[in-house]
Amino acid sequence: MTSTVSATRTRTPSSSLRGKSQHRKRMWAPWALLGPFLLLFILTFALPIIIAIGESFTKVTRHGIFGEKGVTTEFAWFSNYAQALANGNFIASIGRMLLFGVVQVTVMIAACTVLALLLESASARWPGFFRAAYFLPYGIPGVIATILWSFLYVPGLSPLIDIAGMFRIQLDFLGAGTVLWSIANIVTWTYTGYNMLIIVAQLKAIPTDVYEAAKVDGAGPWRVARSIQLPLIRPALVLTTVFSIIGTLQLFAEPQVLQSVAPAIDSEYTPNLSAYTTAFAYNDYNVAAAQAVLIAAVAFILSFTFLRLTNRSSK
Amino acid sequence: MTAPATTLAPPAAPTKPAPTMKRHGRPGASRSSTIVVTGILVVVAIYFLVPVYWVIVAATKSTKDLFATNGFLFAGHFSLWDNLGKVLTYDNGAFVRWFLNSLLYAGVGAAVATYFAAAGGYALAKYEFRGRNVVFGTILGGVLVPGTATALPLFLLFSQLGLTNTYWSVLLPSLVSPFGLFLCRIYADATDDSALLEAARIDGAGELRIFHTVGLRVLTPALVTVFLFQLVGIWNNYFLPLVMLSDTNLYPITLGLNNWRSQVDRLPEFYQLTTGGVLLSVIPLAIAMIVLQRFWRGGLTEGAIK
Amino acid sequence: MNSAPVIRPASGEKVTLTYWAWLKDLQNVCDIWNAKNPNVQVNAVWIPGGNGGGYQKMHSALAAGGGPDLAQIELRTIPEFMLVNGLVDLARYGAKDYADRFDKTLWGQVSFVDGVYGIPQDSGPMGLYYRPDLLQKVGADAPKTWDDWAATAAELRKAKIYIDCFPLADPSWFTAVATQAGASWLKVDGDSWTINMTDDATLNTARFFDKAIDKDLVTTAYAGFSTPWFAAAAADNIATLTSASWGDALLEGVSGGKGKWRVAAMPTWPKGGYGSSYIGGSTAAVLANSKHPKEALEFAIWMQTSKEGIDALIKNCGIGWSPDRDYIGKQREQPSAFFGGQNYNEEVFLPATHEQNPDWSWWPITQQSFNILADGFRKKSSGGTLVDAVAQAEKNIITAFRNKGLSIRKVES
Repeated sequence: MTSTVSATRTRTPSSSLRGKSQHRKRMWAPWALLGPFLLLFILTFALPIIIAIGESFTKVTRHGIFGEKGVTTEFAWFSNYAQALANGNFIASIGRMLLFGVVQVTVMIAACTVLALLLESASARWPGFFRAAYFLPYGIPGVIATILWSFLYVPGLSPLIDIAGMFRIQLDFLGAGTVLWSIANIVTWTYTGYNMLIIVAQLKAIPTDVYEAAKVDGAGPWRVARSIQLPLIRPALVLTTVFSIIGTLQLFAEPQVLQSVAPAIDSEYTPNLSAYTTAFAYNDYNVAAAQAVLIAAVAFILSFTFLRLTNRSSK
Repeated sequence: MTAPATTLAPPAAPTKPAPTMKRHGRPGASRSSTIVVTGILVVVAIYFLVPVYWVIVAATKSTKDLFATNGFLFAGHFSLWDNLGKVLTYDNGAFVRWFLNSLLYAGVGAAVATYFAAAGGYALAKYEFRGRNVVFGTILGGVLVPGTATALPLFLLFSQLGLTNTYWSVLLPSLVSPFGLFLCRIYADATDDSALLEAARIDGAGELRIFHTVGLRVLTPALVTVFLFQLVGIWNNYFLPLVMLSDTNLYPITLGLNNWRSQVDRLPEFYQLTTGGVLLSVIPLAIAMIVLQRFWRGGLTEGAIK
Repeated sequence: MNSAPVIRPASGEKVTLTYWAWLKDLQNVCDIWNAKNPNVQVNAVWIPGGNGGGYQKMHSALAAGGGPDLAQIELRTIPEFMLVNGLVDLARYGAKDYADRFDKTLWGQVSFVDGVYGIPQDSGPMGLYYRPDLLQKVGADAPKTWDDWAATAAELRKAKIYIDCFPLADPSWFTAVATQAGASWLKVDGDSWTINMTDDATLNTARFFDKAIDKDLVTTAYAGFSTPWFAAAAADNIATLTSASWGDALLEGVSGGKGKWRVAAMPTWPKGGYGSSYIGGSTAAVLANSKHPKEALEFAIWMQTSKEGIDALIKNCGIGWSPDRDYIGKQREQPSAFFGGQNYNEEVFLPATHEQNPDWSWWPITQQSFNILADGFRKKSSGGTLVDAVAQAEKNIITAFRNKGLSIRKVES
């Protein structure tokens, strides 16, 4: 998929010189164009990762009861990683995120696919209104969405709990077993509309003759959905899933904001929260760096594996 | 949370269905299926709009009423203007300052990021040079690494450089969009503008000039997508400013509102500030989303997955 | 920085000090000083409460080589900042000359290894806030002992009211009650720390509340002064709250609570133990990168020992309890309208300050220790016990100490 710039030129005496200087210009031009991006990329992506790896192999030891007798920095081999992995809370947080991801991503992708199909079907009225309504939450930052939903979760303030109470149903959104799914609800609420639009976009790109052919063959709407639409929106589904996986491992704002009303959320509830607490509450920057490296590695491996798997099966 | 990408309109777009036919040329649906489908869509719409309705109602109440009345019903006393007035004036207009900060970080950040991503993507697509694949591969790796994993080490780096707690500490990382560059490259690759480029070269234009005149024009649909994607991403970012900023004057609206919310247990008047503030921030965002959703163009990105 | 030469006070030129705190309206207090001291101006900056982000801000500012001159740091967090060399030893600037102005227990909690690392600002002597009307429903009075408390709680449950909440996620409450029973978990012994969390006082307290939670005498769904707690209090579902003196200002946030609450002495343990305990309490500390420690110390001393400073702190910021040995503040000498005319400060809290456990000291990883304890407490809702949580937490805290390179050993009582 490359478009090579044509390199052949008729060599005339006057143009050959111009050809050489043009060629030289074209040698540094791509680097000039890439320059600003690359510089910033190195500063904000590459360097931090290198620093994180460096910090994760360093250790600080203290002498005296408060470290007043001296502090030494030394090479730590893998002790920070060992400490990070020995931290039951950190491991639990990764496990929790995997469970969360499997359930929430599946439910969300299924929901937005169904919604996209419904919205694009001939039976839907006012599609513009629904698209706007579903897309609206995407513009609301996670922090603000969580503040909103927290008011809907707290007993005494929540109209949902009040209404359920009228039907004698006890709802507990913030208990130990339910708070994870209350967080999943916030994430689903925020991103379903957005993902749905991506799938709608791909649905719109399906040529009409495909549908014509199906109609001629006598296929009903279910058959059309299953055999035509789903396979053809596959690339969009893969893309949204990969980014949802990456997003799951980054979960931070939602649990942190809910912490004050949900005692079940400890300060290491998600991997990012754990790294943040380790760095800024316990002042263990080295262990936190090890955690950050581990999180990045897991995210990378998961996404890469998923992409590989879906690529292989599509061949 | 970084969200999935948007897709681009490929140069050869599929033909749009004729306006007289129903969507995609399929026959019209029966009445009962219309009712069922629309019914489902309405219920789902209620789910998405409930919190917005709640905050509209809540912002009209005083703290006392907030606790005393049902969340979905209005209270006897209408305090909306009172609350909004407090929100806008509290702490010498802190709310307005935070909103402007968010506009700065997101607006300027997204604009510059789009420009750099376009330049980089264009360069990778239109030129053959040594190291091209290595550069692209590295940048692609950057797409798969979560931003929050780099925020902590970035904090350590910026503290050494003395950049923490400044506008740059949030702006600089926002100017880099690996996914934007990726999208621009795909789009530039799929665009066949070699004739235009040749013509410009023969006219003696320099390479950079060619990019700014021809390249940017051709890439425009992709630019819009990248800009919007980056805009929303920066606006919603919470972890990076949380780690970098301690001066409340530099806070974006996300940090500012959370700051207010964290005081509710100590000072009950913050309930009104929080609900009012949330309402005032949600309204412009809601309008922006409703207007912008039509700019998210359709298309295929099969190449993006490979 | 504490081994560097002492910084001389500024001579003649104007000095501006920054003060990071989460006290409300602190600038009003600073302005009183500012008016009288044109050469030393103090600028207050609001930050979120320590454990809600304030300490993180301070740590990141210190790590970046900056930070304010003064900061509000709770008594229990002083050793944590000492561990990162974040505090100026004020004894080097003459702080010990003022020791006799302060409550002895508080001064003890800011003094370590011959140094003084914070100026006590407020403290939290504990008492029992209660609703006489709700207790009357079951014919009870304010409980005087914990056993009375348990009996009253059982009666209240029949009326579908909870006597109090037990915060599983915030062990500082449990710690305060164990302290009241006589516990003293961590101590400095020469060059190392010693820990004993499984003494009788702690285990008896844990057993008591294990039973209380099992019998549903208290609710574990929320902590005091949280949003769900305010909602429950406004709905008359909570009858008492054992808490610190600074709770009085927070209690005024209960919707419709005016005139309904009174204060009594904290319930006591049958054998041994103390009359009261303390939760919370802050200091004004001078941070390591300050360029004017002497001026900062003088301001802090003025604010926390002069009559006008204390009165201003109470009036504007609603501080918990004056740290001054002799003066509790003009406002606190009056009866209170919210508490139905009861002069609760002189009746309850002033005597309470003389009945506190003086042996308690804080340690360098308090926040992490509390998180460890909270993790153990959380298991209570899935079948664990508080007793097991305490024993396990002790082991994990020892590991955390060693991971930081500090030496610690377990002692038996």
